[in-house]
Amino acid sequence: MATDLPLVLPGETIDATLIPSSQKHPLRLGPGLRHIPPSDIVPTAAGQLITNPVKNSMWIEYNSNRYTPSQGDIILAQILRSTGDFYLCTLSPHTAPATLPHLAFESATKKTRPVLQPGQLVASTGKADGLGPIGVSPGSPGGCVFDVSLGFARRLLMARSREEGGVGVLEMLGGEEGGGLAFETAVGRNGRVWVGSESARTVVVVGRALQETDRGGLGMEGQRRLVKKLVRDMR
Amino acid sequence: MPREAEPSLNEKQFVTQALQENLRLDGREFDQYRPIELNFGDQHGVADVTLGKTRVLAKATAEVTVPYTDRPLDGIFTIATELSPMTSPSFEVNRPTETEVLLSRLLEKTVRRSGALDTESLCLVAGEKCWSVRVDVHVLAHDGNLMDAACLAVVAALRHFRKPDTSMAGGVLTVYTPAEREPVPLSWLHSPFCVTWSFFGEDEGEMAVLDATWLEEQVRVGSCTVSLNKHGEICQIAKLGGTPVDAVALLQCTSVALTKVKEFSDLVDRRLAEDLKRRDKGGFMAELRAENDR
Amino acid sequence: MTATTAPEAALGVLPRADGSAKYSHAGYTVTASVSGPIEAQRRDEHAYEAHVDVVVRPAAGVGGTRERHLESILQSTLAQIILIKNFPRSLIQIVLQVEDSPENDYVNTKLVQASLNFAIMPALIQTAVLALLSAGVPMRATLTATAVAMAHRDGAKKTIVDPTPRDIETAQSVHVFAFTSRDELLLAESEGDFTVEEWDDVCETAKKVCCHSAPAKEGMAMVLDDEDVGGPDMRQFLRSTMKSKVDADLHWK
Repeated sequence: MATDLPLVLPGETIDATLIPSSQKHPLRLGPGLRHIPPSDIVPTAAGQLITNPVKNSMWIEYNSNRYTPSQGDIILAQILRSTGDFYLCTLSPHTAPATLPHLAFESATKKTRPVLQPGQLVASTGKADGLGPIGVSPGSPGGCVFDVSLGFARRLLMARSREEGGVGVLEMLGGEEGGGLAFETAVGRNGRVWVGSESARTVVVVGRALQETDRGGLGMEGQRRLVKKLVRDMR
Repeated sequence: MPREAEPSLNEKQFVTQALQENLRLDGREFDQYRPIELNFGDQHGVADVTLGKTRVLAKATAEVTVPYTDRPLDGIFTIATELSPMTSPSFEVNRPTETEVLLSRLLEKTVRRSGALDTESLCLVAGEKCWSVRVDVHVLAHDGNLMDAACLAVVAALRHFRKPDTSMAGGVLTVYTPAEREPVPLSWLHSPFCVTWSFFGEDEGEMAVLDATWLEEQVRVGSCTVSLNKHGEICQIAKLGGTPVDAVALLQCTSVALTKVKEFSDLVDRRLAEDLKRRDKGGFMAELRAENDR
Repeated sequence: MTATTAPEAALGVLPRADGSAKYSHAGYTVTASVSGPIEAQRRDEHAYEAHVDVVVRPAAGVGGTRERHLESILQSTLAQIILIKNFPRSLIQIVLQVEDSPENDYVNTKLVQASLNFAIMPALIQTAVLALLSAGVPMRATLTATAVAMAHRDGAKKTIVDPTPRDIETAQSVHVFAFTSRDELLLAESEGDFTVEEWDDVCETAKKVCCHSAPAKEGMAMVLDDEDVGGPDMRQFLRSTMKSKVDADLHWK
């Protein structure tokens, strides 16, 4: 599939035959494309042009490290400090802080709102809805957060990440290859993955498996080998 | 400039918790370095050191200048360290941070004050002309343990460096261009290296870890840099603040440091020999060198 | 050591930066990192667009006015191709670290005050563009750049693509050109004595190097072009570099 669709660079003209032309829906442009009126569609990033004729949409698929906020994304934010009504939180290093209202958490009132310390992690959607703090409830382990590339985070978030995204490490670690490790994860589109487990050793193994799969660009077989090696070393 | 991002509370707690269980986030042993790579550039005097995700480039250069009036018999040797925004956007050009000052002070003490380079050999005409050797340290990526990587890069760059050949005849000093005469190496006395320990835990240096990553550096309670050469001669020990560490533990640290320094020393020797072989295609260099010896 | 003639590039060489590239061509080696969009300082903040900050760092010695001059040229050139209006009140920072530049074996240079050569500009531009592409910063177009020297040899005029320091020393004039991927001339800097006709000649040569329309077959094109214009096909090079990056990123597809 990788060779079928064309590589585009910023400013190149897109072959008109590739642009989906369904009459039912308006054409939707995703990341990496811009529309110059009246009718030019120009790529702004280097990547693979992906089109979906059913939904009448097209976008550029590419990997990067810097998260640009977008509505509706699930992200792991880090509390910077608290003001009267808001938490200021960072989504990625060196960027201006984002605001998250105290009352944005589910069923939060002035009295029941969660009290978060600077440095704590919180899951949130890009619409400034707080989904809940991570790894702070008294009984559960704190876990650790690991940085991955944005493309890898998207693949982890795919509904069928094994089939579509080609990521099987998490399933393998919890399944036969990993000897049934018990852990939980939370993935943010801003390239951060939180891993929690009773055992610190498991957290380290899962974190390393994720980072090495991402960095090494491992396929399914490579991931299986990596999981086996990490689990063997762990004992 | 934007402030440096702090690690999250979860990360901070987890790093210490994992260390108590004898675990590091990247699965290393406590006294294990990340993979070290040392490469030389096409030009003489360029060394590129990669230590995990940390990367430091050092470049040595030389020019003829006037010696300082109070040291007429010595050449000039300077090490310039400037952290650019490439290291991290929180560093600003022309505004030194604490990291930068500490790095340049430690390099100064380790390489310059320990007399690794024979500055007297840089003198050309007493009180009038001498060589000024300068090493520029460029930190390309910072993922912890800048100190050890930078020191390795500086030493490797200086040992790889060749300065233009000179001759003195009848009171006339001639500096030959590379086209006229093959440049000559510096007069090098010994190779000091830095080994940095990071301490964790409440109790006097309960856990000591080598080659800390950036995250580990943010969490550590203290650190200690030992500089020594492969003969075990200690050039300096820097323990700047942090929690107190037991003297016996510190002695233990220096003896481990010696084994690491021997590894560094071997690495530099091996890479220099490989580089010489690469340049010496067809024995052409040997021929040139024989001419210069006469 | 002999200077490499074919351009070489590696992307993502600095794992902690948002985007990075190492590029070497004609004896120049430059590493670039791109961070952004990140928070801009108050004094650099523009209400409607991102601030593009370019830092050029010489391999040895401290930067001076020449570096500041190069930075300002690069800054205005790159701000033309980055979609700065997409990121108001933010900063896109490009740091270019020179690692190697070709040495003139016939001259001993003064080094404490670094003096970057005019002819390094194409390498700086090309590295910056590659690093921006690797960071995925939205851009209007890509750029290709080259340096051309005009020399009088044996009474005849001669254009030299990618001149060596020795060529520059003996040349009448040196020119740097950058073209966008739509064949528009974006940057023309010249140094030395030349006439309008000479400039036209040189511009034509540069355009051939930068804007050669890339035929489909990759390996073949490189060989043919070398004979045609005496320089590498920059656009084809940019494309094949990006192709290997995208293929590696999307191996799971």
